[in-house]
Amino acid sequence: MQKNHISAAIISILTLAACAVAGASFLEHRKVEPIVRGPGVTEVVKLSAWYAGLAGTPADTDVYVFRGQNPGGSMLVIGGTHPNEPSSFLSAVLLIENASAESGTLYVIPRANASGFTHNDPQEGAPLAYSFTLPDGSKRTFRYGSRATNPVHQWPDTDVYVHAASGQTLSGNETRNLNRGYPGRTDGTLTEKACYGITEMIRAEKIDLSIDLHEASPEYPVINAIVAHERAMPIASQVVLGLEFSDITIGLEPSPKNLRGLTHRELGDATDTLAVLMETANPSQGRLRSRTDEALVLTGKDPYYVKAQKLGRLYVPFDEKGHPIEERVGRHLTAIGEFAFAMSGEYPDRPIELSGVPGYDDLGAKGLGAFLRTAD
Amino acid sequence: MPFEFTLFLAMVGVFAVCAFAVKLPVSLSMLAAALTGLLVSGNGLGIRHLVEGTFGYVDTILVIATAMIFMRAVQESGALDALNVVIIKRFRTVPALLLPMLMLVAMFPGMITGSSSASVLTAGAVVAPVLMILGLPAAEAGAFIALAGILGMIAPPVNIPAMIIGGGIDMPFVGFEVPLLLLTMPLAVIFSLTIGLKHVKKLSWEALAPKLDTETYERYGIRLFAPILVVAALMVLGKVVPKYFGMGLPVVFLIGAALALFVGKRFNPLLAAKSAVADALPVLGILAGVGMFIQVMTLTGVRGFVVVSALSVPPIMLYAAIAITIPLFGAVSSFGASSVLGVPFLLALLGKNQIVTAAALSLIASLGDFMPPTALSAIFAAQVVGVEKYSRVLRHLVIPSIVILAWALVFIAYSKQIAAMY
Repeated sequence: MQKNHISAAIISILTLAACAVAGASFLEHRKVEPIVRGPGVTEVVKLSAWYAGLAGTPADTDVYVFRGQNPGGSMLVIGGTHPNEPSSFLSAVLLIENASAESGTLYVIPRANASGFTHNDPQEGAPLAYSFTLPDGSKRTFRYGSRATNPVHQWPDTDVYVHAASGQTLSGNETRNLNRGYPGRTDGTLTEKACYGITEMIRAEKIDLSIDLHEASPEYPVINAIVAHERAMPIASQVVLGLEFSDITIGLEPSPKNLRGLTHRELGDATDTLAVLMETANPSQGRLRSRTDEALVLTGKDPYYVKAQKLGRLYVPFDEKGHPIEERVGRHLTAIGEFAFAMSGEYPDRPIELSGVPGYDDLGAKGLGAFLRTAD
Repeated sequence: MPFEFTLFLAMVGVFAVCAFAVKLPVSLSMLAAALTGLLVSGNGLGIRHLVEGTFGYVDTILVIATAMIFMRAVQESGALDALNVVIIKRFRTVPALLLPMLMLVAMFPGMITGSSSASVLTAGAVVAPVLMILGLPAAEAGAFIALAGILGMIAPPVNIPAMIIGGGIDMPFVGFEVPLLLLTMPLAVIFSLTIGLKHVKKLSWEALAPKLDTETYERYGIRLFAPILVVAALMVLGKVVPKYFGMGLPVVFLIGAALALFVGKRFNPLLAAKSAVADALPVLGILAGVGMFIQVMTLTGVRGFVVVSALSVPPIMLYAAIAITIPLFGAVSSFGASSVLGVPFLLALLGKNQIVTAAALSLIASLGDFMPPTALSAIFAAQVVGVEKYSRVLRHLVIPSIVILAWALVFIAYSKQIAAMY
């Protein structure tokens, strides 16, 4: 055998071995972690119940329904639009495992882009998962996902993404971004079909208020903020004031009319819902971050962001305490409570009253694990 | 000294030793550097990260491999020789017009696809022989098409670095056409003339004809050009009516390659494809190695160290930091530089006109395609013109790169005034 053939054989064997090891971890990433039904959940329905085209696809996802004992309005909480933004998903999980609706109906989608939870973004060095220890000593582990649909489920990307309803163009990798595909369409990509399913659900259930939960990197201008469709502005303004009473500072931004495909614009335009989006500060998705690992995801502590803050490069305060996951989830949950309160005040014939939602201070004091239920 | 800086030095050091002392291929040297980063940072072998990093370039690798197959098929069919005959016969007497026109032709695939490699490997390969027959030395013909590649990538309608930079601050790709035309077209005309005019002489057809293969065109006629025209048409249709023709560049190139089998000289498609992929393999390997390198940089915090260091310069030095760090980071990927540094720099320049500034930053990011070790545009240009060492092409790109940097910085500095002009 020639020398170059021996080298080629060795490299091929090493490459196959590397693929096998990596492949096992990629397959492990597809295993769906349990979410434990709390006392308030009355039904769990697949999104395909509203758009049958999603049935059996990786985009179909669970919708948790909380029907209150008293009639009232309805609210949808969308978590996991971007599975690399953990406070979005975890806020939905804590609602499912703790909250109840006293009046009205609450809908919660924890994994809006279910496919995005099955992989990581290449070249981002993200951890596969993060864990919490519960009071009984058991552990709950959740996957850290990608901003976009898994290319195994939707590929290839076009060079340029054209938003179907407006013709607006964006970079091709946005083709798999759920929050660029609304209101969605039935003859589009898998991502656009998932958008269509959510839009259809809002239409069919006549959902009064839709809240899309997100996180942003600390250098991003729209952060610790609510972005509201113009019809949702009065309610969102009340929420900002309500949060101020809880010593939570939050900005309020109008939904730009020329930025298409996002929930706060398209759901507000395409349906009667009041559409808002909320952002918290997540250094583990930023460009300035130091070592990327589970600790960064959970503690939100990062020396380079502290340095960048001192240089005036950030849009959110950032010191050595960081932005721990409890703070980020606490902000989202407190704001959701304020939205329910504001809706009930603004529309007394359609009240939404929630109970059992973990509070901002409780989360900080006890840790997030204290509000998770033990999984079988 | 931050740990990340030490780690960065270790990774770069291992790369340099492997590539220059041990003479390993660049791709394997990048792999060794990435492994070093993983081990020193306590991440073990990190096999998952090495494999995952390469995924960032799967689409690019497919585009390059299929573009190479297409070009080899077109070449084997005799279409390239025939096209040279047609262009030279018609335009040889007016070089001041011919050179900018050839530059525009070479830019076209990049304008449509947003890929400098697509430009260099397709229209660049058509234009380069013409330039050499007209009198340009091979290395300068390579520089000509390499410049066409990056200017085409930045010129409208498709500019992926600008889309990436804009996407980082939720700015849609709207209103970029005029600033991108202003940024690229004057440079295209100037570079085509400064590189070409001194070499091109007005030659008689009788003097040139013996250097050309006129027989193939006489035998097969214009049908030879069908694959090139079909590929160009599919590229445009893919943008205009993506619903029906958005099949992606790899499929477009394979359709063109298949068509080349039937329009001219006969050739063995399997051998042609094998030799084309063999030519592309070193670059494809580099891309895989770069993917691993970036993944480990991000994982270990080296990327954050680089970005924060670039943003730490005093405001007066910001322009210098932009001019140095974005092209340097482009050594690993121009698209990566757009995302990792282009977005933070755009945020640091929020007082400027955002569209003009993002457009100018995208032009600076494109210079990453000249930066070793990836230097996609320069490496492919050297291959196309048959120059063994791509450093010979790079030499002729130094001054144009400085001009590009200066031009882009002027656009950033006077972004508001420029925006007011249109």
